[in-house]
Amino acid sequence: MVERIHQDFRKREILYSLALWLLSLILPDPQLHYRREYRLRWRDLFYLLAILLLPLLFSDPHFHHLMVLAGIHGILALGLTLFLGYAGQISLGHAAFFGIGTYTTAILTTRHGWPPFLAFWASGMVASIFAYLIGKPLLKLKGYFLALATLGFGEIFLVLIKESASLTGGVIGIFGIPWFRIGGFVFDTYLKQYYLVWIVLVGLVLFTKNLIRSKVGRAYMAVATSEDAASSVGIHVSRIKLEAFMVGAFYAGLAGSLFACVMSTATPETFSLNLSVLIVMMVILGGMGNLYGPILGAIFLTWLIDTLAQYQDYSLPLYGVILILLLIFFPDGMGTRLRVRLIYLISYWGRKKRREKVNL
Amino acid sequence: MELLHIIPQFLISGLTFGAIYSLVALGFVTIARASQIINFAQGEFVMLGGMVTFFFIKNVHLPYLLSAFLAIGVVICLGFLLHLLVIYPLRKASLPILLLATLGASLFLSSSSALFFGTLPKALPPFSGKDLLEIGGVSLSAQSLFVLIATFFVLFLLYILSHYTHLGKAMEASSTDPLGADLCGISRHLMTFLAFGVCSGIGALAGIFITPLFYVSYHSGTLIGLKGFISAVIGGWGKYGGAILGGFILGVAESLSIAFIPAGYKDGVAFLILLLILYFRPKGILGSPFMDSRRW
Repeated sequence: MVERIHQDFRKREILYSLALWLLSLILPDPQLHYRREYRLRWRDLFYLLAILLLPLLFSDPHFHHLMVLAGIHGILALGLTLFLGYAGQISLGHAAFFGIGTYTTAILTTRHGWPPFLAFWASGMVASIFAYLIGKPLLKLKGYFLALATLGFGEIFLVLIKESASLTGGVIGIFGIPWFRIGGFVFDTYLKQYYLVWIVLVGLVLFTKNLIRSKVGRAYMAVATSEDAASSVGIHVSRIKLEAFMVGAFYAGLAGSLFACVMSTATPETFSLNLSVLIVMMVILGGMGNLYGPILGAIFLTWLIDTLAQYQDYSLPLYGVILILLLIFFPDGMGTRLRVRLIYLISYWGRKKRREKVNL
Repeated sequence: MELLHIIPQFLISGLTFGAIYSLVALGFVTIARASQIINFAQGEFVMLGGMVTFFFIKNVHLPYLLSAFLAIGVVICLGFLLHLLVIYPLRKASLPILLLATLGASLFLSSSSALFFGTLPKALPPFSGKDLLEIGGVSLSAQSLFVLIATFFVLFLLYILSHYTHLGKAMEASSTDPLGADLCGISRHLMTFLAFGVCSGIGALAGIFITPLFYVSYHSGTLIGLKGFISAVIGGWGKYGGAILGGFILGVAESLSIAFIPAGYKDGVAFLILLLILYFRPKGILGSPFMDSRRW
């Protein structure tokens, strides 16, 4: 009798693990850096196919535009996850680098007639140079004070953008930025922009994946775990932090350039503290030290903001409440916590069934 | 020549600003002395202090003093709620999560106050009529004097609280050595809870004092809160005296900057001073033992 119950349970366990395996195809891997398999897997092919086919399945222009924004946010979050998730430092000024990228592209294409493709790389470089100049003095700070200092940088950036009207157009901003163009091909519809943004994102994910696998990436994680231990094994801590900051800013600059080409305007209000908070939120929701998580977080939060926008006046209070609830219930990333919850729930269910049977 | 006449006037207005920044900074320091948490929603308490007083005077038609006290009570309750609903569930969370949670709370408070009280900027009538005092060719409103006196009064009360009462000592103990405080039978969460009450009360008081001087609208809280925090860092994190000193330095520097550079850059000046201080002397001017703790 008892043996039969056990056999029964084993069969069911296999079923549960099948369900878990199916889920693990969709959910991002929470502990990417603990595993050996950094190489591309079937899962990655699945993601790639999903990205390529999604806009063809849902041919709604609003959805395409939303996904373009989500992709840009994803690039931003990917840059910040190197600094916040892997190197373990806080930055509340990431929106400023995004803004620097946007304005660089705006100024270069509208005033100096650069082709958008060149301006794209130039804006990444400019953001990175600014990150070097800012990070060199500031990155010796830690914790709250680093957060505050980067926040201060973001605010100064906003003030400078609003005041230097001759360069940046002041509060009104810059209009008429041309569409992104490679050779003769113009990215003028939402569908084309979707593929542009997501292909850039996929390229950056591949780059980041290799970066994390390299010596530099391991140094990031070492710095996040313990700075003293990292410096004792010969890692130049301040330089590693600066590098992570610069790479993050480079990504943000690229994202800003894409944003300028997609929106064809650049206004200072876009780059306020709220955007920085949003980016940090994406990284936290995706899970610290996790590559696919921040992108999932970016998609989720972009969708959330768009959905909340229909409640007009109530959207911001609702957003604040949802933000706090998400932080309370998913403090180490949605993917991680969801999976832990699911495993717990399924195993609890199995145990409960068995207990009931034995008691009978 | 013209400039020399203006500068004393700017100094006076800088002192008024400085007193307000000091009041806000005192709130930050109170929480930091009890729990090492930084509450970015402090600026919203300042805004709410003014807004709720305005609401009680104009919509409920209560007398000035009563509505001020009621507003302080309401804001203190909000501070307690903030601790119970946001900070306490996150007591084991890491730093960026706490940071974002308080920022989210500040977003919620500011936007919902826009819903309740409307988006128009509001100003209360001054306590002491509209007459200006003339001191040596410099005009000074009595309201500014009130603010200065109130700042030092609050400083005095906080000093008494932290140096001469068991409660204040328990608060400080729970921040400097959490394990030790636990072993002495001090409830750390209760201390943080009470500190949030004190901090939001100070914020509301600051709000009631500034609403007659400037127009307060739903989004002005964030900037005031940030500047209060900056002045707490400038003076020396975790010190009441430092908060006052930093507030006055920041206020005077901001006002004087209007005399020399375009007014639009005024908000940038505060953050520039912050970056300079953080680079050259991260302890702050007075320096403080709180900086040496391993948390920072």
